[in-house]
Amino acid sequence: MATKPKVAICWLGSCGGCDEAVVDLNEAVLQVAEAVDIILWPVAMDFKYHHIEELKDKEIALSIINGHVRNSDHEEVAGLLRRKSQLVLAFGACACLGGTPGMANFTTKEDIFNWVYRDAPTVVNPKGNVPQPKSKVDGKELTLPEFYEQVYALDQIIDVDYYLPGCPPPPDLIASAVNAVLAGKLPPKGSTLAPHKALCDTCERNKTKPPRIALKDIKRIHEVEANPDTCFLAQGILCLGPATRSGCGEVCMKINLPCRGCFGPVEGVKDAGTKFVSALASMLDADDEKEVKRLVDKIDDLAGYLYRFSAPVSALVRKRI
Amino acid sequence: MNNFEPKLVCFSCRFSWGYLADEAQLAAQIKNWVPIICSGKIDAAHIVDAFKNGADGVLILGCPEGDCHYQDGNFEARKRVYLLRKLLSSYGIETERVRIVLSSDPEGKEILNHVRDMTETLRRMGPVKKIKPVSRALAAAKAKR
Repeated sequence: MATKPKVAICWLGSCGGCDEAVVDLNEAVLQVAEAVDIILWPVAMDFKYHHIEELKDKEIALSIINGHVRNSDHEEVAGLLRRKSQLVLAFGACACLGGTPGMANFTTKEDIFNWVYRDAPTVVNPKGNVPQPKSKVDGKELTLPEFYEQVYALDQIIDVDYYLPGCPPPPDLIASAVNAVLAGKLPPKGSTLAPHKALCDTCERNKTKPPRIALKDIKRIHEVEANPDTCFLAQGILCLGPATRSGCGEVCMKINLPCRGCFGPVEGVKDAGTKFVSALASMLDADDEKEVKRLVDKIDDLAGYLYRFSAPVSALVRKRI
Repeated sequence: MNNFEPKLVCFSCRFSWGYLADEAQLAAQIKNWVPIICSGKIDAAHIVDAFKNGADGVLILGCPEGDCHYQDGNFEARKRVYLLRKLLSSYGIETERVRIVLSSDPEGKEILNHVRDMTETLRRMGPVKKIKPVSRALAAAKAKR
């Protein structure tokens, strides 16, 4: 009993979808629970952080951490689990890349606070209260986690041993990752436990792609009725498949949605967005300067589109102010 | 601000720019000059890397319209630049910091003029805004443990 490896599953800045993905292993979760001793899983079980603090360093075999780091609480929990764990697995797009909350890096902490506590039309805040890390109430000091200037991916805060991207990661990759840890058959530290190829390489629609894509117009998925069998890019709909790692099982394509990039860049690439810019440029059929401007101006929020899941790990990280 | 010297990176295609000039002599006069074969070779990542490494502006000199040795490399470069400008503005980097000129200058004299002109623009704009590098934040966070 005492020899079962200890596993912690924890969320930082997270929506809970990654924890849901673990539950989606269905019966396999029970086998995992047989093989390991789950000692922390805030979303599902009633263990406390002080239980973890009482452990010896490196006593946890594996910590599966999902969610991004935006405040001092996230940072503290991440640091605690790192100290107590032999292996840390960054689980899901937020932990690996910053995730959708990472798009907040295109705005500033000040703008976020102004909108949320002052300017949004639904806000009623006559005293202009804004949360502070420390405040005095009735002579007592109350504390809140400090909200940081930007969103961080997990490996920008602690050392990470393995990465499993996806929003959320698919059950087959989760199962093979957990099995690899249990069997001790792990790739070199720092590996991403997902295929190396780009999504286009595994996409069923790839065979409908013409030899050269020449777009006269760019459309968004809600503006057209997309053909369910044809390459999105060939239809003029932006799809991040060429610059995104495969392994998701093409779940979006199967419901007729283009790739949004949740698996992050392919192996060997750090910044998928600039790679996609180069690819997209070559697909635009516009030799005339005016025509280039017209096509580019048609794209709303290019940065948000290219870095929907990965702004904090992009080359330029965040907005300069 | 008066003594601010902008860091400009200039890429120029060898097919139209300065191929008759003494390259070593020209290089001595232009800091961060990268002569290349075809402006279409410049990946979006090269331009972003320049900014990541502290450049205040990037100037690309490509061949005249219709004169690309490889058919459309200069057009490809121009499309990338327009896409990148839009992208960079979301990071708080002004669009004027990336410029592309499609023209020809075998003697290489115009390269100097273009570099001077853009350097003056950048001088007026001031240095590109900086962020605290993530690696430093990371180091600080790790040092706490």
